[in-house]
Formats: sequence, structure tokens, C-alpha cells
Amino acid sequence: MIEIDHLTKRYGATTVVEDVSLRVDDGTIAVVVGTSGAGKSTLLRMINRLIEPSAGRVLIDGEDTMSIPEDQLRHRIGYVIQGYGLFPHRNVAENIATVPRLLGWDKRRIADRVEELLDLFQLDPAEFARKFPHELSGGQQQRVGVARALAAKPAHLLMDEPFGALDPVIRSKAQDDLLAIQRRLGTTILLVTHDMNEAFQLGDRIAVMDRARLLQYATPAELLTRPAEAFVEQLVGTAERPFRLLSLRCVQEALEPGGAEGEPILVTDSLRDALSRLIWTGRDVMPVADSAGALVGRVSVKGIMEHGRSLA
Amino acid sequence: MSGRSFALRGAALLLLVLFVTAPQLFAFAFKPLTTNDAPAIYNQGSLLALTLSHLRIVFLATLASTILAVGLGIFVTRPSGQEFLPLSRSLVNIGQTFPPIAVLAIAVPLVGFGEKPTFIALFLYGLLPIFENTLTGLMEVSPQTLEAAKGMGMNPRQRLLQVELPLALPVILAGIRLSVIISLGTATIGSTVAAKGLGEVIIAGLQSNNVAFVLQGGLVVALLAVLIHDGLGMAERMATRRLGRPVDEIS
Repeated sequence: MIEIDHLTKRYGATTVVEDVSLRVDDGTIAVVVGTSGAGKSTLLRMINRLIEPSAGRVLIDGEDTMSIPEDQLRHRIGYVIQGYGLFPHRNVAENIATVPRLLGWDKRRIADRVEELLDLFQLDPAEFARKFPHELSGGQQQRVGVARALAAKPAHLLMDEPFGALDPVIRSKAQDDLLAIQRRLGTTILLVTHDMNEAFQLGDRIAVMDRARLLQYATPAELLTRPAEAFVEQLVGTAERPFRLLSLRCVQEALEPGGAEGEPILVTDSLRDALSRLIWTGRDVMPVADSAGALVGRVSVKGIMEHGRSLA
Repeated sequence: MSGRSFALRGAALLLLVLFVTAPQLFAFAFKPLTTNDAPAIYNQGSLLALTLSHLRIVFLATLASTILAVGLGIFVTRPSGQEFLPLSRSLVNIGQTFPPIAVLAIAVPLVGFGEKPTFIALFLYGLLPIFENTLTGLMEVSPQTLEAAKGMGMNPRQRLLQVELPLALPVILAGIRLSVIISLGTATIGSTVAAKGLGEVIIAGLQSNNVAFVLQGGLVVALLAVLIHDGLGMAERMATRRLGRPVDEIS
């Protein structure tokens, strides 16, 4: 659990982060989103004390970060930056082994951990362990960057624009992979981005920042239906709202009894996917199947639309 | 390196070793350059001993320059030493502006004749390339890499030894190579103040108007320079290969 308590950072007369408080619960992803210069990165970097706060405090699992020596604190918190900052003179295995080596793990344990992580990130150890960062594609570098941050099994992970350097196709795959790995490991993640879509795809909760202040910290659905300020509404995008809402809900929620013609959609798919397929195939209804493939009912355009409406 | 250029270097090395150990074998080649039956091969001392003491003083002076220049380079790129950066740059530049011969002239009255004034001149002259390259190498390390190193909990010492110096190494080596090559040539003037070295052969030739001597001294120094330049270049390439950068970029 990461608790940020009235955190403030000033440089002379300019306030970069003003009195921000928020809590990231265990095993969840919080995404900080905002325009550039809003203070998101500064907020993130105050958590592992790369920047010292002017006021306020940060608690990691209830422990004040100021009471933990800097280096030890950073060994405990994974850190991924845009561009990843892989060490160009070390191969993939050595890069991933960085923190375990700093912690003095024995060789056998480090080698096992590196192999485990390479497998987890779908990088064949035989092929990739000895490669150098410049021999990897952008997507592979990104995976090594995250694997390196997770090497010493930190309970917390800080990510600063971790997908910023990837092209859109690889980016969405990388986001899905991160989500899957996070669900599997139960890591608590605080991620900074300026990409609203990324925030909605990854965030259990989203923090919107503007000009040093935290405007709203809420679940994605709440952000859409009850934006705290005009700026939040604008950032979320009024035209995008219904579709974002639909992408947060799964087919299960709009399931109706009965059958329909055509290829079935999975119960766990999002309503947005369902609507998009209905529009594309020119139908009003489509059948729904569960993960085992058995038909369980149908969804209709009308039923889906109910879920994309404002609550007011 | 291709097999052919490797063979060429092997031949140069063989020629050098043969020439300094058994110079009389080459007397036939130098005979035509002499007049009035003057000796064709340097006969006032052993070429081998002169070559070794020449190398010794170059090695010692470069070692001292390297220790000071790299140490200073590290110091002025740390937060605590940053304010000394402009000052140290101008000091090292002065070392390079002073012609070695002038340094010899000033040093002899202070420390006497022999190796000491030569050592001082080579040491001062060798500082600049190593210092500038150390600065470039350390400053070229990408801020992202340093941020990652810091964010993963490396302390300043670990960052320097495990990240900054290994990444700067090829550039620092290039500086050392430059410094060694300059010193090899410059060390010959050390013989004007009685330092033992290959300059003796050249000066003896100039005094007795014997072109053969001049050529012999020059030839040995040139072969040494080419071979050492190559050897250090190889070390640099090895250090660079891991970084995935083309070698030309740092030469």
C-alpha cells in the first residue's frame, strides 16, 4: 500500500506539486494522468525519494519513507522510466539481475530469478539472456525494463510513461501483458501517463492532475459519470464518454435471455467490443457464450446503450 | 581486424624486435647513408637499453597523467566538484599550451638534468587528452541510464564504478592512446637534458652529421608508435563492442 499524505514540492516560488493526498491499495493499479507539466512525474519521484518533498510524507505499507535509508527504499520499490534506461554495457540477464546483485543474492538464486522473469515476459532465455540492449526491439527493451524492476520481487512498482516510446500496436499489447502480470503477481502499481486511453485501460483508480493539484482521484466509471471539475470532464473527452463507459463494463452486465444468429461473443468481453461488432455486422442482437463455449444468452444494441448513459 | 593487416603488424613487431636486439644485421641498409666511413649503426650504447628506458619514461609519465586526469575528471563531474570544472579545464589547457621544450628549460634548473625534467614535461603534456576524454566520456552517459541506476538504489559509488566508468571507458582509453603517442615522440627531446632514450640516437646523428643514426632513432620511435597505437586501439574496440556503438564514433 502506498499512502501519499499532503505531499508538496516547491522550487523557489513555483509549486510543482501542491498538497496531494491519495492512497493506492494493495494489488491495485493507480494511474496519474494529466497534461505535461502538471507535476505527475515529480509526484512519482517523491515516492522513491529521487526528489525530496518540501512538505508532507509518503508511507509504504504504513512505514514513513523518510525513516528508510534512500538506497534501501529504492531496492524495495520497482522503478520503470520512459526509455527504460537499460544499461548498454550489460546484457539482458545482467540488466535484470541489477537489484538482486545490489542486495547480495547468491549466484544460483539470481540465475533462477532471471530465467523465471524472462519466461514470464515471453523472452526465451536461450535467445535473449546474452543479448545487449541495442540488439533488442523497442517492445523487447520495454519488457526487459519491467522485468528488471520486478527482479527483487518488490511489492510496489512505480512507472513513469512506461509505454511512451512504443508504437501504438505494440503499446496496446504491452499494456495487456502488464495487466496480466500485475494480476498474477499482485503488485501495487502507481503509473504516470498523459494518455487517457492508457489510464482507462490500466487504472483501477485514476488520479487527474492539473497545474500541481490533484483534481480528482476516483474509479474510471466515477470519473466519467461524476467528473469533479470541468477540466476533468474535458480531459476525459465528452465525445468519448459513452464508449469509455462501455469499455469498462463486460457483456455479462447486459446479458439478456434468448438466442440470436451469428458468431457468439464472450461473456467477459467488453460492451464496447460487443457494440462495435454489432455495428460492423449490421445486426441488432448477437449470441453470448461463456468461456467454455456454451451459449448463455444474447446482447442487444438497445441493452448495451442503457449502459453507456449518464447516470443523471 | 583482417588477417592481412594482422600479418602486417606481426611483421612490424618482428622487425622492431630484430632491429633493437641485433642492429648489425641491418648495417647493409644504412651503409649508403653514411659518409667518410662513419659507423652505419649506432655504436655509443645498446639500442635495446635505450628503447626500454624510452618506453619506461613514457609509461611512467602516462600512468601519472592518467591517474591525475581521470581522478580530476571524476571529481569535477561529481556534484561536490562541479564548481572546479572551469578552473581545472584552464589549468590542464595551460599544461598543453606550454611547449615541452620550454618545460624542460624551466625544469632543469629546478630538478636537475636527467629523467626528472623529461618526466615532468611528458606528464604535463599528456594530461589534456586524457582529462578531456574522461569528461566527455562521463558526461555522455545518458541521463536515463543514470536515473535508472539511481532509481534502482545504486549509491553514488556503485553508479560510478558499475555504470559511469564502464560506459566512459572506451572514450577514456582513446584519450590515453592519444597521450601515449604524443609522449613517445616528445620523449626524444628528453635526451637534450640527458634522459636516456631514443632521442640520444637522433641527437648523436645530428651532431656527427650521420643520417643513418637519425633514421635509426626515428624508425624505432615510429614503429613503437604504430604498434602501441594499434594495441591500444584493439583494447578500445573490445571495450566498445559491448556498447553497440560504431568504433569510429569515439576515435
